[in-house]
Amino acid sequence: MIRHLAAASLLLTTACLAIGPATAADPGITDTEILIGDVEPLTGPPALLGVAASIGHKIAIAEANAAGGVNGRKIKYVLEDDGYVTARTIQGVKKVIDVDKVFAMIGISGSGQSIAVMPVLEKSGIPTVIDVAPVKFLWEPPRKNVFVVGQSYEEGIIHLVNFLADKNPGKKWGLITQDDDYGITVRDGFDTVVKAKKLNVVYSGNYKKGQQDFSSDMLQLKDSGAEVFLAGGIIGENIAMMKELEKLGIKPVTGIFWPGRIEPVLKLMGPAGDGIYAVDYVEPFAGAAGKAFLEKAKPLVSEAEFKGINRYTMTGYAAAKVLIAAIERCGKQPTWACTISELEKTRNVETGVMAPISFGPGVRFSNQKLQIMQADAATLSFKPVN
Amino acid sequence: MQYLIQLLISGLAIGAIYGLIAMGFAVIYKSTGLVNFAQGEMTMITAYIAWTISTTVSGNVFVVAIGAILAAVLLGLVIERLVMRPMLGEPVFATVMVTIGLAVILRSAINFIWDAYPHGLDISMGRGIVHLGGIGVRTGQIAVIVTLLALLAAIWAFFRYSKVGVAMRAVAADDRTALLMGISATRVHALAWAASSVIAGIGGVFFALSYDLSPAMFQLGLKAFPATILGGLDAVLGSGLGGLLIGITENLAGGYLGSGMKEVAGFAMIIVVLMVRPFGIFGERDIERV
Repeated sequence: MIRHLAAASLLLTTACLAIGPATAADPGITDTEILIGDVEPLTGPPALLGVAASIGHKIAIAEANAAGGVNGRKIKYVLEDDGYVTARTIQGVKKVIDVDKVFAMIGISGSGQSIAVMPVLEKSGIPTVIDVAPVKFLWEPPRKNVFVVGQSYEEGIIHLVNFLADKNPGKKWGLITQDDDYGITVRDGFDTVVKAKKLNVVYSGNYKKGQQDFSSDMLQLKDSGAEVFLAGGIIGENIAMMKELEKLGIKPVTGIFWPGRIEPVLKLMGPAGDGIYAVDYVEPFAGAAGKAFLEKAKPLVSEAEFKGINRYTMTGYAAAKVLIAAIERCGKQPTWACTISELEKTRNVETGVMAPISFGPGVRFSNQKLQIMQADAATLSFKPVN
Repeated sequence: MQYLIQLLISGLAIGAIYGLIAMGFAVIYKSTGLVNFAQGEMTMITAYIAWTISTTVSGNVFVVAIGAILAAVLLGLVIERLVMRPMLGEPVFATVMVTIGLAVILRSAINFIWDAYPHGLDISMGRGIVHLGGIGVRTGQIAVIVTLLALLAAIWAFFRYSKVGVAMRAVAADDRTALLMGISATRVHALAWAASSVIAGIGGVFFALSYDLSPAMFQLGLKAFPATILGGLDAVLGSGLGGLLIGITENLAGGYLGSGMKEVAGFAMIIVVLMVRPFGIFGERDIERV
């Protein structure tokens, strides 16, 4: 009996191999549909980035579907919530790959989460474009099937601190960072410029993740006499810091990083946020490109989703555009191997929301161009600084 | 000196918010013998409701205050009736687990009902800055300190002189004897949940007024719980004072020892105090730990 079963299995395997790759299609693709999977924080505080990024993916997908789909196939988006919990990210990615059997992955939660899920992605070999939290570990060393759209946190901070240092020579500096991997990256970038430009740092604070009251920290900053301040919080922390500084009656030249560069933050900061500098690689909504993106997005998403648009929507949109374009270039029978090869051939792809995107042989990181912006409290927007 | 005064004022203000939420913990514990691990989330829900009222109904401070208090009462009563009352008589561990589950549900509800963006509670008062002897203080910070002190006095009088307050103390002391005396334990429990929701909710609204409103606000519960332990899990007034102590200690540590010590200082103080008085500064000796 066992011998018969073994013979039958052998026969079946040989038959499958003989039919060839045309029918042994990769998962997630039928004659009418292509499935793209994503795992994002859709609940809890980080939903601010997860929901916005998923809206960006939806916009690009809706745009492609409205134009007839990818070579006649409509794209279906499979989205899972990880609540920003790493174990759930791994579980979610396994689920969309093994159970939903998606053709490609996009987005993927925060930096820690995408790092943790990397072995699963690598082992599966599924074409993946990461866009939410670009950190070096995701592209160094380059993985065959994983591409990252964005710019590294460290480069972002270096760019911002260099700009502020050139603009404010000889001034006293203050810095506060979060006590986690994000904070360490911010501090590393800051220290690089401090060393290179010999900046005079008079205050250096390190707060515990989740801290909400910054009264004593900002009092220390004031006491130190800092004139230029790098606020290394994310969202709520930066708001609290700026409001404390307002209460204390001081207004140092302040820089914030892109995770906190969302327009509602300015509303909450009020006049205290006027003039703060930010660094980013996506276009500000106040600029022509930002306005054009909003116009494009409006008919493609619901009213609630439109309200949830922020900078992460742009990063999500750009990544999805690049992935869809690569699948499209594979023609009528896209496979994982072809999609990965086409992603690698991505050259100066225009998305309208950031500088053109390129990858290359062994290059899995798009290394986006950075720009400095300044907050305008009157219009609650960030405007490019020339 | 001005540096010290500024630290003390800020510490009192944030401590008053911890104190209010801590009192919420203590009211439920005192009446039901239960630690409510969803206290921070209930606080957050009330603050979000206050924000909704301010943006959709009226930004008038009295309308927002009355609306938020009514909503908090309703929230407390609904949770008690639908979630906690069916757990009466069940093992304490199971009931505590129910409050943890409730916390997760309420936390997720924020994203489903509202959104993940930070919001500001913009009502006519609270965000203004007044200068007292050259020290800038937000009006909301002054208001929360005054509110805590007023509530401490009111709650002391309530437990001391009112029939309902005495009934609550009776249920807390011995619910079976209280039942024989004609006191309805379930009614007392319902009242405790409503009162706890309101008191903690006031803390949440003041926090939203002074800082911002975000789905991370539930963490206030984690900050206020040590204040309850410090003051005494069964001591409502002690918990309020425990909040002030934690707030001041945190700020002094942050101001003189560095940012990193701020979050540690409160817990360090709790360890020291509990080594000397395991039942908290104002708690009763025979407290049952959960």
